[in-house]
Amino acid sequence: MTSIFSQILTVMMMNIRSLPQRFWMSFSATLAISVVVAVLLSFLSMSKGFEKTLEGAGSENTAIVTRSGSKSELNSVLSNDIVNIITAAPGIAHNAAGQPIYSPELFVIVDGIRRSSKLKANLPMRGISSVGFELRSNVEIAEGRMFEAGKNEIIVGKAAQREFAGFDVGTEVRFGKTIWTVVGLFSTGGSAFESELWADTRTVQSQFRRGNSFQTVRVLLETPGDVQGMVDLVKQDPRLVLDIQTEAEFFSEQGEALSGLVSIGWALSIIMSLGALAGALNTMYTSVSDREREIATLRAIGFSNISAFFGTLVESIVLSILGGFIGAIASYLFMNGRTTATMGGNFTQVGFSFEMSPELFQDGIYLALIIGLVGGIFPAWRAARLPVILAFRGGV
Amino acid sequence: MTFLKNIIGLIFRGLGLALKYIFLTISSPVWLPFWLIAYLVEHIAFVRNALIATDLYLPFKNMERTPLRFALTVFAIFIAFLIYGALTAFDNAMNAGVDLAADDRLVTVNKINFTQTLPIAYAQKVTAIEGVDSLVHMNWFGGYYKDPREQVITFAVDQTKLLEVYGDDMLLDETHHKNWLRNQQGLLVGELVAKKYGWKVGDRIPLNSNIFSKMDGASVWDFVIEGVYSGKFKQADTNGVYFHYKYFNEALAFGSNQIGWLGIKTTDPSINEKVIKAIDDMFVNSPFETETVPEKAFNKSFIARMGDIGLIVTSSVSAAFFIILVIVGFSMALAIRERTNEIGVMKTLGFTSRRIFKMVLMESMMLACLGGTVGLAASSFVIKQVTSSPQFPLAGLMLNGEIIMQAIILMVFLGLITGIVPAINALRLNIITALSRR
Repeated sequence: MTSIFSQILTVMMMNIRSLPQRFWMSFSATLAISVVVAVLLSFLSMSKGFEKTLEGAGSENTAIVTRSGSKSELNSVLSNDIVNIITAAPGIAHNAAGQPIYSPELFVIVDGIRRSSKLKANLPMRGISSVGFELRSNVEIAEGRMFEAGKNEIIVGKAAQREFAGFDVGTEVRFGKTIWTVVGLFSTGGSAFESELWADTRTVQSQFRRGNSFQTVRVLLETPGDVQGMVDLVKQDPRLVLDIQTEAEFFSEQGEALSGLVSIGWALSIIMSLGALAGALNTMYTSVSDREREIATLRAIGFSNISAFFGTLVESIVLSILGGFIGAIASYLFMNGRTTATMGGNFTQVGFSFEMSPELFQDGIYLALIIGLVGGIFPAWRAARLPVILAFRGGV
Repeated sequence: MTFLKNIIGLIFRGLGLALKYIFLTISSPVWLPFWLIAYLVEHIAFVRNALIATDLYLPFKNMERTPLRFALTVFAIFIAFLIYGALTAFDNAMNAGVDLAADDRLVTVNKINFTQTLPIAYAQKVTAIEGVDSLVHMNWFGGYYKDPREQVITFAVDQTKLLEVYGDDMLLDETHHKNWLRNQQGLLVGELVAKKYGWKVGDRIPLNSNIFSKMDGASVWDFVIEGVYSGKFKQADTNGVYFHYKYFNEALAFGSNQIGWLGIKTTDPSINEKVIKAIDDMFVNSPFETETVPEKAFNKSFIARMGDIGLIVTSSVSAAFFIILVIVGFSMALAIRERTNEIGVMKTLGFTSRRIFKMVLMESMMLACLGGTVGLAASSFVIKQVTSSPQFPLAGLMLNGEIIMQAIILMVFLGLITGIVPAINALRLNIITALSRR
């Protein structure tokens, strides 16, 4: 039994050491596999990054109130009366003065020019108050200062400034007739809020003619994750046609917007893998036919056909895993941390960065491994069945 | 020991055979066409003679002499063109709105962003501008059917003007149109939507809005389908659903007397610039400044706002082509190198270098064209399958002449690139070295 293993090992090492002789053919298969893996990982890391950006925005401590069925902050509308009723619900945390802690907010879309395409894109602008700042973790003014209430001043999220032109601190921007001054740059630790412009709620209400209405209310919960008190109130009061969700829940739903990309990425890479598989098979069959006499000779001096089989199979797997690593590393180098923006659930651009994780890396290597396995098994089969007589034939 | 070895051998043999035949059966749609072509060339004298007369017979025989390598190479090309066909058709369909946009139509939106509204009075004011033939105001309704995920692209419009502006693109039965005008709760439904939900004229349909609620607090709006329109062009998007602005405006709990945007038809495309300037100048410095653009530009910018689909398509297709370029290129080079001896013999027999050069190039061309044609045919088949589902929302998904022309250029290009180096090597090959090389 040990002899079989040592035989397999010998043949494996022999095949791997002779790889440079078949350099170009092996190279082509490896390259093809690496491109497939790189394509897959690009898609996956894009959707992962998007998901992470949105999930980072949601907190379990905060609940978000929207008009029932609106599904996004943009579509929701809440009148001042509704805001007053719902914020009296049980389960909402109170401050020292006994007032419920809540932040009614506005959400409007303005045009901005994308730096990458020089084209107009939808940029979200949020009317927010100081309570809104407290309800979000990690909000920091990175440059400049806060906006002042009652003034046409905005602060710009890091991702918004990165993706859109003309929002440097100190510049003036014009939305319709109104001129706003950019007074600060804020960060929220990489979450989706960084793609927004923030301004004082009352100012946004008047400049965008929203009267005394809001779009969403965020409330601080007494017990994280527990929105039952508010849900019960909505059920009892027919005036309240509202959806209550924790912020985490709300954003994780929105993060699924790009989940279609994962399926497209997989479908495309699997189809491409078939092409790469053809390349791998080609390479391995050539490898076997190049070494026909060598394999036959080994058989003639007593090596088993099992060793010939595994020798070829391992060669194929080594090539494909090599390709997988090259592809994964290439896509890590080119894609990881690369930033872009795409349409999110609010009909606005959400800036995010490609996010490569060990799990994605693993997916890429698995795909390469499968290509190598299937691409090696048939040629290995042929190698195992080569007649020994070939070794004794003269010439070619 | 030997017994165990025999068993293992048997298992492997059985497994191998099973795998082989399973693979052959699964892949039969792929290899069958090629097998058929090879069969035709061999057994029909006319085809064979034609190939011999055009000096393509030898390249053809060379190409298929190692059937396995031939099959694998062609398969790789097949895959690349399958991806090319499907993705390019998809990209085209997404951009159909740009290609189909009429030159004499404009869109006026709020300058801040098209999601901001305009006062209804603007419609009257713009109608009076010289060069405006007709115009219709529209509102985005944010409609969905029963489930918020089942979005229906719904617009509240000035029903009397809709067909004056967009009538050229919408085919609609005259009596249906009249019925729709008469019924304030009437709904005009696009063919694709009607197909998707199985709606017919006369059906009562409740639609919800994810934005607007009625004054009584209800978010369900009741409609009666009065007409189903179809597109004049095959690629036309008939996912839209239209209803009376009056019904919308009177029932609104908030935001009444506001419109989303204006669709304008000018008397002649040549005066578009003048009309655009006249409209936007009229509202400059008002609380609601406007931005007017030609329909084509609006559709283009709308698609661009949705995300860079074109970029994803182009990079995926390029990646696929890069893969096959590498695979086919190296296997062509290998095939010619293996034939070094033979080329020496042919040269000795009097084949000119030029002819051999041409033969090698023809072989790679044939490979590319064969794989490419079958791949394109397969993508057309896939597209047919996908679009035949009533759930599928893209009307214009098909391989048009432009895609096919581009594909042919790609095939020739691929054949050239993969064949040129081996062909030049064969051209330069010296008889002595060729014959002495093992």
